[in-house]
Amino acid sequence: MNLIELNNITFRYNNDETPVLEDFSMSVVRGSCVIVEGDNGSGKTTLFRILTGLSFPEKGSYIFDGAEITKNYLKDNEMSKLFHKKIGFLFQSPDVMLFNPRVYDEIAFGPRQMGLSDQEVEARVEDCLEIFGLRELTDKAPYHLSGGQKKKVALASVMSLNPDVLILDEPYAGLDKKTQNWLTQFLKELKAAGKTLLIATHSSEGLIGTADEMIEIE
Amino acid sequence: MLPEWMKQTDNYVPPKDGGTFAIKTIKTIGNIMSRLKVQAGHEKKRHIPALVKLIGLFVMIVIASACQNRIVILGIAAVILAYLCTWPAKDLWGVLKPPLAASTLAFVLFVPAMIMNPAGIPNNLIVVAKVFLCVTMVTLFNHTTQWNHVTLALRRIHVPGIFVFTLDITLKYIVLLGNLIQDLLTSMQFRAVGKHDKKYSSIGGVMGVTFIRGTEMNEQMYEAMRCRGFTDDYKGL
Repeated sequence: MNLIELNNITFRYNNDETPVLEDFSMSVVRGSCVIVEGDNGSGKTTLFRILTGLSFPEKGSYIFDGAEITKNYLKDNEMSKLFHKKIGFLFQSPDVMLFNPRVYDEIAFGPRQMGLSDQEVEARVEDCLEIFGLRELTDKAPYHLSGGQKKKVALASVMSLNPDVLILDEPYAGLDKKTQNWLTQFLKELKAAGKTLLIATHSSEGLIGTADEMIEIE
Repeated sequence: MLPEWMKQTDNYVPPKDGGTFAIKTIKTIGNIMSRLKVQAGHEKKRHIPALVKLIGLFVMIVIASACQNRIVILGIAAVILAYLCTWPAKDLWGVLKPPLAASTLAFVLFVPAMIMNPAGIPNNLIVVAKVFLCVTMVTLFNHTTQWNHVTLALRRIHVPGIFVFTLDITLKYIVLLGNLIQDLLTSMQFRAVGKHDKKYSSIGGVMGVTFIRGTEMNEQMYEAMRCRGFTDDYKGL
């Protein structure tokens, strides 16, 4: 069953003559891994903005988990929160995701929002610190970290919400080879655990065996 | 090795209540940013040099403020209204909102004086009209002139370079930092999937990060300018 369906969507910015996406369709099966490729400015980020409910197409429809995602749908506070709980989005720049005073608080932000008990929050944060190798940075301010560390903290803060779908915009950008290999392994484990992954990347070599589909945007 | 909770799907139901402050703040900042970004729409049609407009604005404000003759004030109002008639209807509200707000405020401030001295009402209304005209002229100037043209005009009339430089960079950074705040709030909104009890703490975090990022960007830009031969003598952009 398709978890995500985009049907003939067209999107343009501020009445631009040329649409960024025109009559674009795609579908994503639950638990699959889809890689989105394309040159700079081809519309990958725009596609992800639509998938995360930040932008809305002027034509066509976006169906997520059986519900059509529209402006009105996301106006409902409860629906909006449920939608964002299911979809985790890693921004291209981790700088725009880090606003807490400590790495620990950054990762704990989501679980605290969910109303989990202190023990559950701590367990999730500890697990994330362990998986992402951030234990030594627990009390550091996120904005003082290196680019790669920031990216790890940003991803950890998304993963602590345990989303069903993970949308990653250029997750390998700014990472060294070792961290890239670690990320590839982590994404493979997530896929094996049944998570749905959508990844925009220029370096998909490592994921070729894992990806179920590759979409090229022109 | 993934922990067990990450392998399972959460059975999560968001609370019914809960603030939408992040969304509201994003929208507000977005509106302000779009106003700052899109401000050259009418400049393309009638290209009057910014220097001429700046001097003209200054002269007109002085005349409108100092003039006691009602005919002259009505004449200025007629010219402005005739000019506004050439504008597309969709842009008019954006131009008229600030002067209407300013003149309403002026009127409210004059109400006690009007009650206590009814004979002075005509003069009070003239002041209100002057406020309306001056703010309208400034708003029109703002809507028809790009900021970098304004700062260039200031440089041409020998306003000190450091003042123009600071103004130019501040205006550019308002947009950049506004975008940063919007992105930070959007990412917060994505993770704020429940009841947000510590909204002020989070907003404080966003402001703190913006301040730090602003300082970093400022230093980086200054260093990049020095590398390209900038010697503190600013010519304008």
